[in-house]
Amino acid sequence: MTDLAFGLTMTVIGMGVTLLTLYLLTLVIRLLNRLYPFKEEKKRS
Amino acid sequence: MEVFLSALASLTQGFANLSWQGVFMIALACVLLYLGIGKKIEPLLLVPIGFGVILGNLPLANMSAHDEGGVINLLYEGGILTELFPVLLFIGLGAMIDFGPMLGNPIVLIFGAAGQFGIFLTLLLALAIGFPREQAVSIAVIGAMDGPTAIYVTSKLARELLPAVSIAAYSYMSLVPIIQPPIMRAMTTKKERATLMAISEKKVSQKVKILFPIVAAIITILIAPMGAPLMGMLMFGNLMRESGVLKRLVDVSEGALANVVTLFLGLTIGASMLGGNFLKWQTLLVFLLGLVAISLDTVTGMLLGKLMRVLTKGKINPLIGAAGTSAFPMSSRVVQKEGQRANPRNFLLWHAIGANTGGQIGSVMAAAVMLAIMAGMGI
Repeated sequence: MTDLAFGLTMTVIGMGVTLLTLYLLTLVIRLLNRLYPFKEEKKRS
Repeated sequence: MEVFLSALASLTQGFANLSWQGVFMIALACVLLYLGIGKKIEPLLLVPIGFGVILGNLPLANMSAHDEGGVINLLYEGGILTELFPVLLFIGLGAMIDFGPMLGNPIVLIFGAAGQFGIFLTLLLALAIGFPREQAVSIAVIGAMDGPTAIYVTSKLARELLPAVSIAAYSYMSLVPIIQPPIMRAMTTKKERATLMAISEKKVSQKVKILFPIVAAIITILIAPMGAPLMGMLMFGNLMRESGVLKRLVDVSEGALANVVTLFLGLTIGASMLGGNFLKWQTLLVFLLGLVAISLDTVTGMLLGKLMRVLTKGKINPLIGAAGTSAFPMSSRVVQKEGQRANPRNFLLWHAIGANTGGQIGSVMAAAVMLAIMAGMGI
């Protein structure tokens, strides 16, 4: 494998996986926010 | 008389063995100490590094990182070569970071990916210049703007570049307020920079804050196990913070632990900067490529910001893209400052901090993926 092929492989897979992973995390966060929405704590009397 | 002369000669051995490279490095160390103490630029790092350079370059002192059996060598082999120091720093980092702004507006996490594109472009550039693959990857990771990550990757792939890469990574992190604004202004119109974003400090439940580091650690480590030490410790530190039941451990992690590791890390990195192996053209190239990497990260982040502005019909200020790096919280502050300069009613800090924490995760992920690909290729 030439250096150019190595660099392009790293760029395409590296950037692609990083982007996909972070996108997956955004979906996970949305799901968590839906499952456990923020509720104001009730004031203790 | 002979005994007297030989005793005298032994006392002049240090001076006799002092090379011009050693003298140059000691002068350089004095500059670092001046910047740290006199100008208060990253004193936590520059003072230990500066003094480490002095100790490491004094002949016959046995205090360089490479003098076997020496005290600094012990720290170097135990803390840097084993990757222990950067990993421990990540516990402290996790304990310091509030993922709240990102959890409230998860789309900003994507900026954390765009902000890593410069790493890969710099990798191509370093390969084109002729750096071997391991060195090219280590240099490119300077673009992560994350000292511990850069040290972790370089200690795995190209230890000979460790002093140059770590100094470049930490220096550029502190220079973010100087490097990023001209690029931000050059890439946007005043109208774009003045874009108002809704101030929506969306609150997130404590359950989400606790569950996120657990789920994120599992997902990211399953995808790129090579990054487990960094991502695992980052998320563990954050879980301790959000759990609310480990206050003492959080205090230690973000305080004493992070400080002690930073102290040893700085001293050891400094003592590994020996004149003979540091004063090369290669070092200068590492610094130049590191600057290119950081600039390209800013450019690609801004390009995504501009795209998002179009897609959301003007609801996103493109400056936010510049915060998708790991330079936390410097990039966020720069975005806020530039935004307010264009429009005094602008308040971008909340959104920028979200992108910035996304950049923290993105940089570790990018480094982990690179290591995983290298391992897969048998490098």
